Amino acid sequence: MSDSFTLPLRPLLEKRERPDTLPQEIAQINAQYGSFRDVTEESLRATIAEEKNKDPWAEEDEAEKPAAEVDTTERMDQLYKRRAEITQFAMQAHMEALFALDFVSLLLSKHTPRQAELSMSAYLKQVAPLGSLNAEIVNPPPKSEAALQDIKTVSRGWRIQNFNAAANKLLRSATRLETEVASETKYWDEVLAVKNKGWKVCRLPRDRQALGVQYGFLEATPIFRDRGLAALRRADDGSLLLDKGLIPQKIRTVRVRVKTQGQFTGCSKVSWSLTNADSIEGRILQARDTVYEEELFHEMVREARIMGSQGVTTRQNLVQVPVSEEQEVLLDLVDVDQGEPADTESLSNEHDTLADAVAHSIRILLAYAHRQNLRRRTQPPPPLTPKRRHVPEYQLLRPVMAYLQHTAHVRSLESFMGDIVGVLKAAGLRCGFTSAPFSSVRLPTVHASVPKVETLVKQFLMPFESTFTGNLLTPESSFCVKVRTNTVSPPSGTYFEITVNLPHHPEVKPPSRIGLPTEAAAALAHFMLLDIVTTIANKGVKSPEGTDAGKGVLSWEAAYAHHGELRALSGSGNNKKMKVSLSREELTVQTYPLRGVDVSGSAEKGKTANPRSQSWRADSSESRPSLMEFVEEVSQDRP
Amino acid sequence: MHELLLFASVPAHQHHELLQQLAGLTAMQPRHRLERRLVFKAYRKPGLVTTRVGASQDVQGADLQRLNKMLNGGMYYTQVVGPVTKADFGATSLSAMSASHDADVSMSGTDQSSYCYENQPWKLEFRDIPEAGTRSAVTTRLMASASLPKGDIAVPMNAWGYSFVTEYMVEGDVFVQNDIVIFLHRVLLYPQAESQDLHGPRRQLPAYHELTPLERTGSYVLQAAITVQDGSNQEMMKTASQHLFGLREQLKSAVRLEQADRLSLDTRAK
Repeated sequence: MSDSFTLPLRPLLEKRERPDTLPQEIAQINAQYGSFRDVTEESLRATIAEEKNKDPWAEEDEAEKPAAEVDTTERMDQLYKRRAEITQFAMQAHMEALFALDFVSLLLSKHTPRQAELSMSAYLKQVAPLGSLNAEIVNPPPKSEAALQDIKTVSRGWRIQNFNAAANKLLRSATRLETEVASETKYWDEVLAVKNKGWKVCRLPRDRQALGVQYGFLEATPIFRDRGLAALRRADDGSLLLDKGLIPQKIRTVRVRVKTQGQFTGCSKVSWSLTNADSIEGRILQARDTVYEEELFHEMVREARIMGSQGVTTRQNLVQVPVSEEQEVLLDLVDVDQGEPADTESLSNEHDTLADAVAHSIRILLAYAHRQNLRRRTQPPPPLTPKRRHVPEYQLLRPVMAYLQHTAHVRSLESFMGDIVGVLKAAGLRCGFTSAPFSSVRLPTVHASVPKVETLVKQFLMPFESTFTGNLLTPESSFCVKVRTNTVSPPSGTYFEITVNLPHHPEVKPPSRIGLPTEAAAALAHFMLLDIVTTIANKGVKSPEGTDAGKGVLSWEAAYAHHGELRALSGSGNNKKMKVSLSREELTVQTYPLRGVDVSGSAEKGKTANPRSQSWRADSSESRPSLMEFVEEVSQDRP
Repeated sequence: MHELLLFASVPAHQHHELLQQLAGLTAMQPRHRLERRLVFKAYRKPGLVTTRVGASQDVQGADLQRLNKMLNGGMYYTQVVGPVTKADFGATSLSAMSASHDADVSMSGTDQSSYCYENQPWKLEFRDIPEAGTRSAVTTRLMASASLPKGDIAVPMNAWGYSFVTEYMVEGDVFVQNDIVIFLHRVLLYPQAESQDLHGPRRQLPAYHELTPLERTGSYVLQAAITVQDGSNQEMMKTASQHLFGLREQLKSAVRLEQADRLSLDTRAK
């Protein structure tokens, strides 16, 4: 810009012709170097070389060397001395100024005594009466022509010097302004770019001169909402700086880990790389993510505190959520760039997907909570009361925990049922069940007033329910198990609701609410056992009655159905007892001969040579007779 | 409950701009609101015993005194407010059309969008005359609201001793900022009824464009209200008015919120 600056700032120096300068210069050279005769090329070269070789700093070095060697005490001395000097100078200057003031005051006291008196020192007032000094204009004696010429030249020189200095200053400030304008343009371009990306740019409420960008979440808790605003400052070269104030610049995120049987088996992804992490956009995005993650963790800790009764524990920077007996989920807030120290602990990546899913769910749930906040905020408020409204804890961990617990319970029950059915199949019994996991989760019907996303998420905040239904062996008997998990409202945890329809045992009523999966499994196994006993008894009833084949065939009747005991009475004294036991591994049937005909069953037992027993397992490959064949076989009326 | 209010008048040309400003201030989208407002006036049923006042020797029981005070105390106008939607308007022509097609078909239920007076929800809003002589620069008044049965409201109101006076429409947008409800609204009048007798509320609504604003220039009223549960709690009342003053400061450059003239909000029936 200074090149294109056409306004002449520097004073024009007119080259005056000085015709008689040469004789003067010759005279000067003669005086300095002596006669021209002695000046040869060599001598001149030697002089130049000497000048060149001479170290320009030599003198100064010598002067500084001793200064460098002074030790600290001397330096202190020097410091005090210098300070004393400075003070002395200042005192002197002060005194001189006071003298000058006194002088001027005394001089003025002739004309304005009242005013001048104020600025006079007390001493002067004592020694000199007011108005004792006067000033008059005197005509100076005329100066000589040469002196006038001198003054003229000197003043001309001064003026030129001042003009030069002013011109330099102007040009310097012009360049400074130019760079300033360039950097300002760059700053505003970047601010515009940020705004065009859709970020909200506004003035800072505290610092009205600065611009800020809003990247936080309006519906967040106030401390996090207020952190969602950062100043856009200008660096010296005009690039944009994101100034978050006192908040540390670290990028943090919530990490989810899964621990199975005391060992880490999964970890969620901690760092996801931003494409342009160094651009201002990238930095804003990072700041936004960090504030979201920190709020997420804050809210989780808040929620975890009220979940202490459900086994959730919190440490300073860790939340532990038990999912099932052997699995728990750990959530903590980590720095993204700190690397992955958990690598050594992590033994497998088996549950990485689960950890990722949990990580995504809690984030979705926080976004949902934000939406709920907006909804609550825009409703007409209740009347003002002295009581403060309690902000309920967000539902972040509770739905996740409910889901995982529910899944675990349903899985365990399902596998138990599968095993039982396998065992029964191996014994040649036909039995089946259908499971409907998460039958309570229904895809929402579209509702105009509520956005679809919200209705979808809302489904997962309700209690979960799964159902198992199946038919038992005897016709018309069936069972149904409802598994409900609820961790949101007070009756928390999972419970099983079993309903059975056993026409042969109308008195059997299952317990209304079973809390433990093992108990539920035991109850189901018991009903199965009852059913098997009934089947065997029915079988015995059917076959002998119809035909005369009943001769020689014993019929079984249930003696203690709840213990799996049956009894067959025969006329020939070959009374028999059968014991059926069912577990998830195997079905065992044992028969014992029974001596004595006491109906109460307390007859003395004498084991003959052949107590028979047969068991079926789901995994046994060898072919065995089915249960019914076995029963037929042992029903023969012989010992 | 008490209500603290500040008002401002907003010219029509400023309306859109102010909507934007309020949306920014409250960080929410405006909620459009259309309300039917029916004005009822309390009256004394004829045949009521009016006891003489001033007969000092006539000593009355405390209960009787209180009852008399209630019965003979001030009479007030009250409003019955019913929310409607824009789709409800102009249903007259629709039902009239269907009526001309088939006179036997009942009005309600023939058309989905037609206005159904029988299902109109109502709310009773009682507002006292603003308190006099308060130092504070806000309008303070006693208020109470109650839900009313749906449908034809004139009959129960008559039974309670209120007679129908007139009705109008209020159109506006609601914002919520913390505890303050900001209602930017204007009053719309029904077209002059040519034949309809004005002894009861309308059963059909005219087309929306037929409504005319009460203020000819189409200007709006900005009302900032905050309700306090317990009006005798000075601390709360003070907090509430502080909140209102805070809003007034924030809106200073846009509108001037101020106290309303007390007597213009007089709801007493003389």
